[in-house]
Formats: sequence, C-alpha cells, structure tokens
Amino acid sequence: MNKSVLPSVWRFLGLVAVQGLLLHQVGSAINEYFNVLLYPLFILLLPVQISSTVAVLLGATIGMAVDMFYASPGVHASAGAFSGFARSIILAGFKPKGGYTGKEPIPSPVYFGWPWFLQVAGIYFAAHLFWYFSVNAFSFVYFTTITAKTLVGWSLTMIFVVLYCILFNPKN
Amino acid sequence: MGQLLQLIIRNGGFFTLLLVEAFCFYVTVQYNTKQNAIFTHTMGLASGNMLERRQKWVDYFSLEERADSLKSANGALLSELAIAHVVQVPYRDTFLTVRLDTLHFGDSIAVRKIARPQYHFIAAKIIGNTINSANNWLYLNRGKNDGLRPDMGVVTGKGIVGIVRHVDPNFSAVMSVLHREARISVTLKNQKALGSLVWEGGDPSLMTLRYVPRHFDVKVGDEIVTSGYSELFPRGVPVGKVASQPEPDKENQYFWIMQIRLSQDMSSVNDVYVVDNIFQTELDSLKQKVKDE
Repeated sequence: MNKSVLPSVWRFLGLVAVQGLLLHQVGSAINEYFNVLLYPLFILLLPVQISSTVAVLLGATIGMAVDMFYASPGVHASAGAFSGFARSIILAGFKPKGGYTGKEPIPSPVYFGWPWFLQVAGIYFAAHLFWYFSVNAFSFVYFTTITAKTLVGWSLTMIFVVLYCILFNPKN
Repeated sequence: MGQLLQLIIRNGGFFTLLLVEAFCFYVTVQYNTKQNAIFTHTMGLASGNMLERRQKWVDYFSLEERADSLKSANGALLSELAIAHVVQVPYRDTFLTVRLDTLHFGDSIAVRKIARPQYHFIAAKIIGNTINSANNWLYLNRGKNDGLRPDMGVVTGKGIVGIVRHVDPNFSAVMSVLHREARISVTLKNQKALGSLVWEGGDPSLMTLRYVPRHFDVKVGDEIVTSGYSELFPRGVPVGKVASQPEPDKENQYFWIMQIRLSQDMSSVNDVYVVDNIFQTELDSLKQKVKDE
C-alpha cells in the first residue's frame, strides 16, 4: 500500500512546489500567455485502477493547494476536479487491447510507450488548460483569448511534461 | 430509491464532479474579484431578461382584459366622432347646422360649448346569433345594468346589426336586421334620397330597399348609409351598397325597389356597439305631446 501511495505523495508535494514557487513566478514575470501547468501530471500519473471519484477528489485537492500560490481560490480546484474526471474517460478511450491488466500501475511512458503517452497526455492537458482558462476568464465572451492561451500554454506544458518523464521516468 | 442509489454509486465520479464543481464555483465567485464582478453582471442581465419575459406572459394573459378596455375606449371615441361631424351654430335668431370640417372657427370656445353629444356607444359582445330563420335574433352580454334600453340601435365599425328589443339586467335580445319586422331608415350617401330597408328572407347578405323616389338616378354600387331620422342610428353609419339594378316597385310605381348587399357580414359579427341616444327620453316626450294634441 505504502509503496503505491508514497510516490504519489512525493509527486503531489513536488509538483505543487514547482508549480507554485517556480512556474507561477516565471509565468508572472514573462507575460500572461506564458502558462505552464505541470501539476495536473500528478492526477494523470495516479494509479490506473483508481476510481474516478477518488481522482476527482484528489484533483480538487491538488488544485486547492496550487490555488493558494495563485491567490485564486476555487479556480485551479475546479480544473483539477475536472481533470480527475476527464482522465478516467481518456484512459477508457485509450484502453490497450485486452484492457488494463494491472501490470502497469500508472499510465506512464515506461509501461505504455511514448506514442500512447503523448496522445493521452496531449488530450488530457488540452482539456485541463481549456477548462482552467475558461474558469479563470469566467465568460465565453473571451473565447478567443481562452483558446489562444490554451494553445500556447499546451505547447509549453507538453515540453515540461516530456522533460519531467525523461528526468524522473515515473514507474509507480 | 434503491435504483437512484445504484445510479449514484455507478456514476460516482460524475456526481462527485458535480458536487465539487458546484463548491468550486461558489468559492470562485465568492473569493475572486474578477469572477464575482462577471457573475454579478451576468445575473443582473439574466434577471432583467427573465423579468421582461415574465412581463410578456403577463401581457399575453391580460390581452382579453385589455381588448375589453380598448373597446370601451373605442366606444367613447365613436361618441365623440358622432358629434364631431355636425355642430349647431347660433346665427341671428336660429341655429345653423354646419359640418365641422367646413367651419373656420371650429376651435373657438363658442362652438365647443354648442357641440353636445347626441350619441354615446356601449361596447358589447354577441353571445348568440341566428341568420337562417325567417325572423332572426342576436343576444348581447350587456343589459339594463350596463345602460341598455329597448329601441337602441346596434352597430359595428362596418355597418348596422339590429335593434335592442328586450333587456334583462345583464343580457339583452336584439332584433337582427334580418328580421321581417325590422325597418331601417336609410339614405343614398351621395344623393340624400331616403328609403326604407327591409329583409324579405333568403340570402342573409342581401336586403331590399324600398321607397326611393323614381326621380333619383340610382346605380349599382352606390353606397347606402343610415339617415339619422330614426333616432336609433346616428346619421351616416354605413349599411351597404346597391347590388341590383333598381326596378319600379310593383306595389307603388312611383318608387324604386332594389337589392342592397350589407357591408356587415351578419354571419361573422362579433363585437358590436349599442347606440345610446342621449336625448331619447326628451324626444319621446316631445312626440307624445304631439300625439296628445
């Protein structure tokens, strides 16, 4: 039990710290389009078999933690909860032949390969970013800005996601 | 209940998402200045829109009431119109009857004082109507309590309808123009030739005009209006048009007889105005004096 939980706890703490202390500061210093949201990786890399209810609750939790750094109560929490739910649907959509066997504890490139992971992560982060910027703008009057921020943010975030996976090669 | 619980358990993730999102939405609006401003503004717009829609529904459901009040207003306007055409102007030791549109001093206070309304109109709805009997009747939703009396004319904007005969407190029976005993005093609009309009049965859109002297040149299509001599109808209410070539009356060779097509379709009449001749009692007592002499 501890073996499967601990890595997630460390990932939670590490990603919140990197997001709040580093990426947020860098983004604020550069411009409003420079948004790298790496913390949803915690939700994506949760155990494959975890129920969507738990994923939603954990997503909201990490979102709340990030909100403390961004001084935006509720915004990242909303996006985190949404991503927890979206993850279940995306993983179901990309189910390998024969389904998830249980030999792959988390949906990472080590177990499913890079092409599979990039597709899943690509869709997952696009959904997360679009939801986040929508809640942040709070009106579809800003649809163009929301879409532009999503596109730029997605491109930057995916680079960091790939770097993270190469550096840490998450296995559980 | 059990099925509902199963549904929630089976879709636990979705229901959790809904709950968490509702909570996040509340927190976002409550603690973020920008989102709060947008939310307040949007709610303002939405509630304004809803109020407007509600008002439209209220307006729709009160249409009948409003139509009723408009009809009353129309009746009042018709009353004014009836006196607006003709006024009596004092001239030396007599009165001259002058059409208002020929008066150059029509706005003077003197004329306004002399101009007195002779008719007032009471709006009513027809609640019963026949056109296929030898003697036809109509029933109105107005009666004694609304100021109706026997021998009042009933008209519409298009033409004449009948004469009030029997009055109950809230309803009244109207002798239709399509009644063999109805006699309407009419005149040719352009020639001032008096005649008497009767219905001889058959086609409910046609009546017979009698007693127009033969020296008048009457053509098909000439307009017929009320003469104003019967006291039941104001002068000039449209009645119909000459529908057949005038022929010498077999009963009395000195007069024309002709068919008149009614301008008011008696089968589709619905809203009417009852003509209240304000001076009816005065005129009646005057006539009685003449009779008693």
